[in-house]
Amino acid sequence: MTSHDISRRSVLRAAAVLGLAAPGLAACVTAGNNGGQSSSSGDKSATNPFGVKADAPLEVVVFKGAYGDDYVIAAEGVYKKQFGGAVIDHKGIQKVGDTLRPRFVAGSPPDVVNNTGAGRLDIAALNQSQQLENLDELLDAPSWDDPDVKLRDTLLPGVVEDGTYDGSFVRFNYAYTAWGLWYSKPLFEKNGWMWPQTWQEMLELCEDIKKTGIAPWTYQGKFPEYMTDPLLVMAVRGGGMDLLKSIDNLQPNAWRHESVKAAAEAIAELSGKGYLMQGSEALSHTEAQAAWCQGKAAIIPSGSWLEAEQKSVTPAGFDMVMGAVPSLGGSRLKNNAIHAASSEAYLVPSQGKNVQGGLEFLRMLFSRNAMKDFAKSVGTLPSVKGATDGITMSPALSSVSEAVRKAGDDTINYRHRIWYPTLTKAVDDSVAELVTRRITPAEWVDRVQKAADDLAKDTSIKKYERK
Amino acid sequence: MKRFPLHLALGFWAMVTAFPLLWAVTSSFKSDTEILTSPWTVPEKPRWDNFGRAWNEASIGQYFLNSVIVVGGALFLTMLVGGIAAYTLARYRFPGNRFIYYLFVTSQFFPTFLALVPLFFTVEQMGLLGTKLGLILVYATFATPFTIFFLHAFFRTLPSAIAEAAFIDGCTHWGVFFRVMLPMARPGLVSVAIFNFLGLWNQYLLPLVLNPDPENYVLAQGLAALSTSQGYQSDWSGLFAGLTIAMLPVLLAYVCFQRYIQAGATAGAVK
Amino acid sequence: MSVLTRPVERAAAPAPPAPSKRRKRNRGYGFVIGALAPALVLHVIFVVSPYAQAFYLSLTDWNGVAGKANFVGFDNFERLAGDSLFLDAIKNNLLLLLLMPAATIAIGLFLATMIQRGGSDGRSGVRGARFYEIVFFFPQLLSVAIVAVLWGFAYNPNNGLINGVLRAIGLDGLARSWLAEPSLALFAVMAVMVWSGVGFYMVLFSAAIDGIPREIYEAALIDGASGWTTFWRITLPLLRDNVQVAFVYLGMVALDAFALVQIMTVGPGGPDGATEVMGLSLYRTAFEYGKFGYASAMGVALFFGTLVFALVALRGNKNRTELA
Repeated sequence: MTSHDISRRSVLRAAAVLGLAAPGLAACVTAGNNGGQSSSSGDKSATNPFGVKADAPLEVVVFKGAYGDDYVIAAEGVYKKQFGGAVIDHKGIQKVGDTLRPRFVAGSPPDVVNNTGAGRLDIAALNQSQQLENLDELLDAPSWDDPDVKLRDTLLPGVVEDGTYDGSFVRFNYAYTAWGLWYSKPLFEKNGWMWPQTWQEMLELCEDIKKTGIAPWTYQGKFPEYMTDPLLVMAVRGGGMDLLKSIDNLQPNAWRHESVKAAAEAIAELSGKGYLMQGSEALSHTEAQAAWCQGKAAIIPSGSWLEAEQKSVTPAGFDMVMGAVPSLGGSRLKNNAIHAASSEAYLVPSQGKNVQGGLEFLRMLFSRNAMKDFAKSVGTLPSVKGATDGITMSPALSSVSEAVRKAGDDTINYRHRIWYPTLTKAVDDSVAELVTRRITPAEWVDRVQKAADDLAKDTSIKKYERK
Repeated sequence: MKRFPLHLALGFWAMVTAFPLLWAVTSSFKSDTEILTSPWTVPEKPRWDNFGRAWNEASIGQYFLNSVIVVGGALFLTMLVGGIAAYTLARYRFPGNRFIYYLFVTSQFFPTFLALVPLFFTVEQMGLLGTKLGLILVYATFATPFTIFFLHAFFRTLPSAIAEAAFIDGCTHWGVFFRVMLPMARPGLVSVAIFNFLGLWNQYLLPLVLNPDPENYVLAQGLAALSTSQGYQSDWSGLFAGLTIAMLPVLLAYVCFQRYIQAGATAGAVK
Repeated sequence: MSVLTRPVERAAAPAPPAPSKRRKRNRGYGFVIGALAPALVLHVIFVVSPYAQAFYLSLTDWNGVAGKANFVGFDNFERLAGDSLFLDAIKNNLLLLLLMPAATIAIGLFLATMIQRGGSDGRSGVRGARFYEIVFFFPQLLSVAIVAVLWGFAYNPNNGLINGVLRAIGLDGLARSWLAEPSLALFAVMAVMVWSGVGFYMVLFSAAIDGIPREIYEAALIDGASGWTTFWRITLPLLRDNVQVAFVYLGMVALDAFALVQIMTVGPGGPDGATEVMGLSLYRTAFEYGKFGYASAMGVALFFGTLVFALVALRGNKNRTELA
């Protein structure tokens, strides 16, 4: 593989060969501007550790999804108070990647980016292209609330690891997300149902639920990744962190581990026994979750954003809570181990006009006050310790908070899903086939293992390693 | 009664066509709960506030305005630029005439997807990504090959006598085009304008890629985004109201001017 | 080109005599250049140049955010040949190409014939013809994005329109998860394409049938020909050109299908690749995975597919259409 820059001339030459050369061709698409820092800085001090220039404008682009952007606007107020002359350009948008990709290529990205939601930017690619500021300086700066404590030491475990790409910390996650199975607490209490600890108990519970005429489970069939999650949790509980590592590192036969197959069999059993709501396989997340909120199904897999997402369609007194996925026999992790990870990525583009301002803004955004506001207003755990202390939580948020506490260090977070989007798609596509019983658990294992093997062989895709 | 099976067949297809549209319009007057629990009934009471919400909160009003500006600008540009190019190619002989004609018209048969990636970066590098001007230029450029293709044939069928007379009277080339040929070509211009309007008004792929700023979304793009973002908001009734706002004006305009519109829309295939 | 005598203005180079030197200096050339320049400049910047660059990008590994791209030769194309999802996409596009235009044209022709020749005497239009034409044409006026949003809801297995109708008329057994069953999903998408296309081609064919002299039909009816015979012997042969043009346009729609699949289907592109189309693969590869070089290779593949189709479809029609 030869490597050289695409120059305007080489594109022109290629076009000329095609017999299509013409004046307008000079607009060559890949001639991006990789010019150096244009960021302007002021003097550093204890209260201004990065040397922000007070009157430098700051541009903040935020994904405006389930969490809204009010908490960001509040932090912008703090920034404006601190730096009197600063003009803040705030944008709350939905397709972050489509909006910002061209600006990265052109070398004029905003100063702070909240990169989440469908159509987000590929952080690994950005990092490979040296588009992101290493945030180590920010981690080692004093936290906003207490100058004696570094920001690094206020974070929940896993946040720094989640944000590290190729050895540099470029992605600062704001929220802490836990995944599990959701149900209406009053509905369970009314029927005397207990949350099952083992899969056997789950099947018995499903039988009971079915008798009442409610479908035991539904899932977001249009986006099958929702069902991948309970499957992987059960698999990793059985196989332990070694299994997780071997899967993430694309080791041969990693997916052939017996606990992966057992988990696949368990998931297939749900539809085999008729425990899934009819038609679930064709429903979008909105549709499936709405059906669940209307009491047509009792249990649905999802993450801790669910309460916020369902706000406008949840009936009063529904009181959704999250339960941990039950265990198959022979667990090597705590039975309470759950899938949890930090999310809501914040980035500081290295070609921004006000990098220092971006860092300082994040220092304010990651303050305890801002975090508490966030937890209160959107009902989600933030990624700093103790942010939910002393605030009144909804049943949903306290169940999530409790699940995170119980899991302790046994939190499961698969990296391959972030590193290898094509493998993720292959896994999810085949999970959909497994759940609808169009393939057997053994066939499912074969398919997923083959996808992982093909990926491992593909030299054009950059590989990562989990240590 | 002999014609009954015939009307059954025609009536069946009329129903197949109209029913989903009626269903969407009806749903736009319902509450979220009604849509989810009783998709079949008429709304208990018409919820006009769905439209207010769609127009303001879901920005359908803004998208509508954006569509009008972008499509209007592009239509004017393509008619002007394409019209005069078609005229020149049709009625002047000069070296390269055929080459230029084919350079334009063959691109109609190129899949847009092939150009998509470089086009995205070209527009971006010109600083036009996400701007109305950028969209107008690209829309107009993508509509021009067909405009030329259609009007080329049209201009060639026009008689030469009047133009000849105008030249003898000392009219310039521009004068002949604007004062003589353009008025004579009016029926063709109307057809191709309607065709272009429909094509541009309903564009999805180009704005999806070239127009990422929500403030500048055009209507079709905005609605598709609304159907995605309702994942975060769960506002079905607002979405149906948005669909209705997007569909009704076009359908009503069509019912009023159907002959012109049908002629224009099918312009490409009947010439 | 056509046999029509080409009218030529008194300008740059009037035919038939060869242009004289004096004429060449005449300001007609200035006009030609001034008239063509705006369209040409736009066309070169936004059409010719992107198409040309796509071919070059398809030979690189560009990720879209880097300032540079590496030349990788034909690696992208080799990978395409082994990319099972993309092969699924090709298969699905071909299936759409095989069935959708034929179905749309068949229904369109049927309806057009009914409307134009379905009157009680077998010659004139059926009563209410205008009404039917207006209604049939509706979907043509809607953006494909709006059609997709609408039908996405209509296909909902639990409270969507389709299953609702089936259940209402007692055909509960036929209710399906239309977009979630691999054997049905592509046909569900295809049905929407047919739904939205029929009206347009019906109007097109209807106008063409209207243009056939009435006496031909009258003569056939006097000879005792049935409606069916007149269709096969008179209508269809005389509509050959229209059908061929329709086939080309519909074929290009079938090779696209992006918006419907992207907005409507499970996954999207699923279940299990059952509705994957080339455009969607390209869009995902470029704008979700950031592999712009590989995506461009998909575009090049799609281009050659379209080219082959257009050549095959237009073969033998050289004298009839302006383009061939």
